[in-house]
Order: sequence, then C-alpha cells, then structure tokens
Amino acid sequence: MVKKRLYLELENCIGCRSCLAACTQCGGHEQRNRNYVYDVNPLVNRQTMPLMCLHCVNPACARSCPAQAIQIHETGAVLSALVEKCIGCQNCTIACPYGIPKFDTEQNLMYKCDLCIDRTKDGIPPMCASVCPSNTLQWLTDEEIEAKQKQFNLDNGKWVTSMPYLEGETNVRVNLPGILQGVTKLF
Amino acid sequence: MQEVNVKPKRDQFFKEIENVHHPNEKLVKTHCSYCGMQCGMNLRVDTRTNKIIGVEPRYDWPVTVGKMCPKGVTAYQQTNHPDRILRPLIRDDASLKGTKEGFREASWDEAYDLIVKRFTELQEKYGKDTLSVFSGVSMTNEKCYLTGKFARVALGTRYIDYNGRFCMSSAAGGFLRSFGIDRGSTLPWTDIHETDCLFIAGSNTAECHPTSMFRVWNVQERGGYLIVADPRETPIARRADIHLDLRPGTDLALANGILNLLIQNGYVDEEFVKNHTNGFEETKELVKEFTPEYTSEITGIAQEKIIRAAEIYGKAPNAVVMFARGVEQQHKGVDNVSAYTNLALVTGKIGRPKSGVATFTGQGNGQGGREHGQKSDLLPGYRKITNPKHVEEVCKVWGITPEEMPQAGVSAYEMFELMEQKTIRGLYLLCSNPAVSAPNQNFVRKALKSLDFMVCADFYLSESAEFADVILPSVTWSEDEGTVTNLEGRIIKINKAQEPLGESKPDWLMQVELAERLGKGKYFSHLKTAKDVAEEFRLASKGGYADYYGATWDKIEKQDGVFWPCRDENDPGTPHMFLDKKFYHPDGKAKICALPYRPPAEEPDAEYPLRLTTGRVVFHYLSGNQTRRIQFLRDMCPEPYVEVHPETAAKYNIEHEEVVRLYTRRGEAKYKVKITEAIRKDTVFVPYHFGHEESINLLTNAALDPISRMPEFKACAAQIEKLSMKKVQ
Ligand code: SF4
Ligand code: SF4
Ligand code: SF4
Repeated sequence: MVKKRLYLELENCIGCRSCLAACTQCGGHEQRNRNYVYDVNPLVNRQTMPLMCLHCVNPACARSCPAQAIQIHETGAVLSALVEKCIGCQNCTIACPYGIPKFDTEQNLMYKCDLCIDRTKDGIPPMCASVCPSNTLQWLTDEEIEAKQKQFNLDNGKWVTSMPYLEGETNVRVNLPGILQGVTKLF
Repeated sequence: MQEVNVKPKRDQFFKEIENVHHPNEKLVKTHCSYCGMQCGMNLRVDTRTNKIIGVEPRYDWPVTVGKMCPKGVTAYQQTNHPDRILRPLIRDDASLKGTKEGFREASWDEAYDLIVKRFTELQEKYGKDTLSVFSGVSMTNEKCYLTGKFARVALGTRYIDYNGRFCMSSAAGGFLRSFGIDRGSTLPWTDIHETDCLFIAGSNTAECHPTSMFRVWNVQERGGYLIVADPRETPIARRADIHLDLRPGTDLALANGILNLLIQNGYVDEEFVKNHTNGFEETKELVKEFTPEYTSEITGIAQEKIIRAAEIYGKAPNAVVMFARGVEQQHKGVDNVSAYTNLALVTGKIGRPKSGVATFTGQGNGQGGREHGQKSDLLPGYRKITNPKHVEEVCKVWGITPEEMPQAGVSAYEMFELMEQKTIRGLYLLCSNPAVSAPNQNFVRKALKSLDFMVCADFYLSESAEFADVILPSVTWSEDEGTVTNLEGRIIKINKAQEPLGESKPDWLMQVELAERLGKGKYFSHLKTAKDVAEEFRLASKGGYADYYGATWDKIEKQDGVFWPCRDENDPGTPHMFLDKKFYHPDGKAKICALPYRPPAEEPDAEYPLRLTTGRVVFHYLSGNQTRRIQFLRDMCPEPYVEVHPETAAKYNIEHEEVVRLYTRRGEAKYKVKITEAIRKDTVFVPYHFGHEESINLLTNAALDPISRMPEFKACAAQIEKLSMKKVQ
C-alpha cells in the first residue's frame, strides 16, 4: 500500500462545508464533525478556508495531555481521545496551535479528527477528501505532493509554497493560497 | 472524430478506490436526489432493519468521482425523516386552506374515492379542462413521462405544466432556436477541465453545481482562463481571470458586445459560419451598435474587461460557453441563451471535443423531465402536441385516437392566472412547491386558495400542501427506481435502497391506481412496476428528437450512463453533439440570432432605486422543502438574508445583521442585512429557498419571456426601508 497523505490546496476552497457534513459519516465519528471551515473576511469577499487537524509528527495536543488519552496511530494519525483515559481537562485544545480538539461537555470528553482512521488505515481516503467538490482536500502520494510543490513554487521573492510544513513537522501538507501566480498561461 | 463518441470516458480524476463496508451494511449505488449534477453516491443500508442509515462516496462514478456537496452528503436523511407523511391526509374544512391545520389521516381508498368524486363532479360541471396538473422534474423520467400521460389520458385535460418553467425553459427555448434541438450540454462534463477557456455567465457554480468546481479550477491550473459574468463576486467569480460584474438583467447587451468584438477583431470562423449556420450577416449588423462603450453603459462593466474577455474567448483554441438561471430567469431568457450561444457559433467553437455550449441544469432531472410530455405543448421524445404527425405517433403507444388528445395548455405561471379566473378549478400537484417557488407569491397563494379542489402528492407537508384538500404520501427518490437525465444529457439509473416508508407510494403507482378508478384502467393497468413504465416510455420516445429507445437499463449500467439521442440497441449514445457539424434545423444548419437589446421589464426608478436579484445558497435546494428539514443544512443556513454593499448600506444607515424591510411593487418581507463588498452597489440579493413570510418571491416580478414563459426572477426594482427597531428577532 503506497502511503498517502491529506493535502490541502487552500486556494481552491469554495466554503461549501461538505467536508464537515461528510465528517459525520465516518464509522467511528458518531455523527459529529470534527473540523472547521472559516470565512476569511466575511464582510468583504467569499474567501473561505478549511481548518483541519494537521496530524503533527510531534503533536502538542498529545504532549499536553496529562492522561495519555491521545494516541498516535502507526500511520501517523493523531487519534481522538480514548474514552476511558480522557479526564476532560481540555489542555489539548489550548495546546494545539490551531485549537482543533473539540469538547463534549455532556460526556466530559475530547473528540477530534482521527483522519478517518477506519478508512485511512486501509488506504481509503478520509471522508472530507473524498467529497470535497473543489479539490481543496486531496489524498495524495508523496510523489504527487512533490510534483505540486515543484509546479507551484515561485522563486520570485513574492510567494513560496508553505510545503513541506507550516509550523512544525506535520503529516498533513498544506499549500497556502497563491498557487496561480506561478502558472504559465496557455496563450 | 466519431470514435470519441463511442462511450463516456473515465479521465485523470478517476481513481480505483475500494469502498468501506461496515458489518451488517450493504451499499446501494445510486445518485443524489437534488441538482442536475446527479453526483454518484452509495446509500448505506442496514441489512438487519433494511433502512437507509448513511452515505458512502461513489468513487466509480466518472462524472463526480466520489465528490458531493453538503446537500448530497446529507440527502439520505430525507428518507426516514420524522416529517415524512406516512398515510394519506384529508382536510374536510376548506376554510383552513393555506394553513397546516385540519388534516386527518385516511386510507388510500378513502382518499382515492374522494379525489375521483370531486374531479368527476368538477369535470361534469365545468368541462374536462377544469382540472390541471402541476408537476416537477426532481423525479425520474418514468414518473415525468407517466404524469404527462396521466393528465392527458386519465384526466383528459389540456392543462398540464411543470416547475421547469421556473428553471430550464429558457435554455430549452434558446437551444431549440439556435440548434433545433435542446440537449443542455453539447459535450460531456469529462471534457470541461480540458478546455482552454470557460466563459460562465449567470451561474453561481460553486454553490449551485459545486462538484463541477474541481474541473473548473483545473482549467486555471493548466493555464487556461476563467471568465465569469455575475452581478455578485460569487466564490467562482472571486477567482476568475475576468469577472464581468454586470447589472442584473443586462446579459443580452454583454453577449452582443462580446460578439461584436469577436467579429471586429477577426475571430470569426468564416468557413464554419458559411457552411453550417444561417443569420450571420443580419446579426453582424445588429451587434455593430454594441461597441465596448455602449455595452459598458448598459451593463455597468468596465470597457477594458469586456475587451479582454472577448480577446481571450476569441484566441482560445478551445472554449466552452456555460450559463445558468442568472441569464435564463429573465423575461428575455431565451434571447440571452441564443446570444451567448452565438459566441460559439460565430467562432466555430462547437461540434468538437473540449468546445461547445452548456447550461447548468438546475433540477436533478431538469433535462429528462422537460423532454417527455410534462410541458403544456410537448409529448414524449420532445414531440409537439401541435404537430399532427407527432400526436399520431404518441397516440399509437398510448392506445388513444388523435381526437382524444387534448390541445396544448398554458405555462406554469399562466395556470395560476386561470385558477384565479376560475377556468381551472381543480389541481393535482406533485413534485413541486409553487407556494414558495413561483414569482409574485401574493397572487399565486390567492390562486391556490381559490381552487375548488386540490390534491398534493409529496413526502413532506410543503407550503403548497397547506392549500390541499387531499395529500397523498409519495416516496423519496431512494424508495423507487428509474432513470434520470443529468446535466450532460446522460441517462443514468436511480436505484431503490429501501421499501417505501409507512403507506407511501411512488407517484407512478398513484397515477395508475387513480386512472383505474377514473375508468381509464385499460391505458394504465399493465404498468405494474417502474420497469414497465420505463419500457413504455422508451417506446414512446422512439423516433423523437430526444430518443431514449436504445437506452436500456442494462446499457446504462454497463457503460456508465447513456447520452441521448440513443436510437437503438446497438447505438452507444451521443456524448458529443454535432461532431458531424449537422444541426437539427431542417437545412442542417445552426441559427446565429440577431437579438435587439431589451432592458429588464422593471427598471429602477426614484421610488424603487435598487435592483433585486435572487438565487441559491450551497446548503439548500429549490424551495427548501427538503433541505430546510435537514439539521446540518439548517444549521448552516437557517434563514434568508439580504446582501447589501457597504456603501449602499451606509446610504440607508443600516448595519450588518440589522433587520430591514425590503419591498417592491408586488410585496414586502423583512430580512437581516448581510453586508458584503461582493455585490454591486446598485444591487441587492436574497436567497429564494424560504417559505411563508420569508419568501423573496413575494417580491419578484412575473414578467414572462414571450417564448419560454419564464418569469423574470433575476431582476426587478426594489427599495429598502430602515425599521426603527434594531436586530429584532
Ligand atoms: S469541502 Fe472542500 S471546498 Fe467545501 S468547505 Fe470543505 S475544504 Fe472547502
Ligand atoms: S493540529 Fe492540533 S490537534 Fe492536530 S495533531 Fe497537531 S496539535 Fe494535535
Ligand atoms: S446537490 Fe448537486 S452537487 Fe450537491 S451532491 Fe447533489 S447532485 Fe451533487
């Protein structure tokens, strides 16, 4: 099985929130969605962006957890809190640079994106990347991601792709808006 | 060239991916219940309860490769929704019409008996044509076909029409005039990302046909161009190479202006124009007047943008012109369609792969549903009821005599006028919610209320059902099978995933059973399954323009759908239209149309200085009768709003989220203000998916297109009034 990663092409997002709707459909997700889509500048334009767990290689959420409730899967996916271990302190939400982990006050339990581990452990794309109509969220091999990096990187001092990492090493790759600047027009 | 037309292709986006199979679940391959994209999906069915419980992407569907918008992802929640109507409902107290009150449950027999009694009484007293059928195209071809037959053979009325008059009729009218045939797209969607230039007018593609977007963006990623004409900076316009931010209702001037530049700057394909078209010289003369300066004056678009757009479209080796309701829902919608189609005809960018013209079909079966006899003047296979030869062909299949075939009726909106005048006294409504979707709601609701007797078949109690005397519980799309024709013109198969909930029944079955009780059993009783209807329907379309005869369910399954026309068993269908450069007018040529500009029926003035336009949001579908009941979609967009530019808002001294009164000559409503720079200063926008006092169609103008009878939803004159209280609930 060729390893694939979640890749975010932020330029493409159309704000449809299909990724959130689809998140509820994953086997272990109990109908709750685990990520975020933001209107970047709502009074000005329609730009939107998904904010997904980046599945950090050295995740602040897991490191901050006093109860070791956040496990890391062999694929690199940083899993949702274990029900039997989570003490509901919400350290993880605060520790995560993006505030990803969500909290269920009734169950006193953190829940977060587990990269649809039910699917991705078998190489099947996560629900969000399966449905995303704009190809903002894609499920790609490292070679495919490298090709994107090459295609989009601009060596003009104005814009660089944010790959491989934004902030610390992550399993998910993110490409910031701006990719079209480097495209050579066909005519 | 012909080999590209053999079979729909799978392209670079198609990947072999296994689906997840959960224990005690089976997957049923089907398509979305909503828009014309008809995204492929698998419904997850619990094998212990035999109930639909979720959705799984359908990676193997070549058009959408697993992708779905949030409506599609949550569509499965319709089937076992607590709001489903499970038994027939009767309301004895007619004074309660227009409310949800007074319905009682009844047996099918009692409901049928009452309908037959009242329909027969009305027809005996006022003649056959006192009854009417108002239908829709968010259902299978089989249902659409049978509804046309039901109206004409079982009820014997001339008055049948459908909600496509508020959706696709202008595209149909424009294509028929330009090409002599109305297939919504001249090329398959798997060509879209391979073109060099997309010229998209009046389509909020990212919200209304979201799963087209990965192909649209790919054009730009490859170095191609995206040109978008829209009064608003929609999510697709935001990233366009050129955004032509025109005034609502001025498309015809823009199209004429671009055409003039194409002609002036030498982009005419002389050879193509000479051999395959008529009308060029006349059109050339007419558009001369539309200089960039004059075009800019009418449309409000900067001249440079118009010039640059024409240059890009002219230079592009391949280009596709696409449009949607923005240009079609005008009282010159047909002219707009032909005017944009002119661009492709004059430059010869049509009749070959990667180039052509397409409309984004709104409803799931907006294409198929308009071809097979639900329209007031059409019979199956796109035959005309006014053509004796066509009538004879259909009569043979139906087993009636041409004398028994009713005359042509009137269009959807005009039916309400006839109700108000008491020419029509009875209504059988199905698959539509005109008490939200029709323009000029104050009038339409009054017309519905004035009916002597109304039947409504629906699976939820819609705003329109509130006017009914009898409600018949129909099934959702997932509880029946049949075919649908997607926005490409590809006939696809909808599969049954669950038995009908409660006592609900598919529409075709209700119509067969009603026909039997009306003494017309001999024309209907042989139709015992959806497949039986399909077989008769294929035969009825045989030999027509929209020939489905060769599109068997087997072939649809085997080759990922079948593009019509598909004339016999050995015909693989027609993914690309006009590859032989033959059009469907008698002389085989297409028509380049000379179309003088007309402004919107209602232009702004001192009293009503703003332009009001309406449209969709990504979270809702049509009248919202389905999507407003789905929690996720409701959470994302619970109520309508009015989009206002900050400078305009400042003039009215109104703020973001403040509630204002919006009004036109026809009606008024209160909306929360949404301030955004992504709209013209002279224009306001309200989404149309909401009912009762929230409906923007209380305000819209029913000025009809002379050919398509499409109301002008997209442009009228309006005014905002600041209310004294702020942020009221
Ligand atoms: S599904 Fe894709 S386009 Fe839609 S909001 Fe999520 S990331 Fe954006
Ligand atoms: S993005 Fe946040 S939640 Fe996700 S792994 Fe990193 S620290 Fe944890
Ligand atoms: S509503 Fe349209 S775009 Fe959305 S999933 Fe359904 S068919 Fe696809």
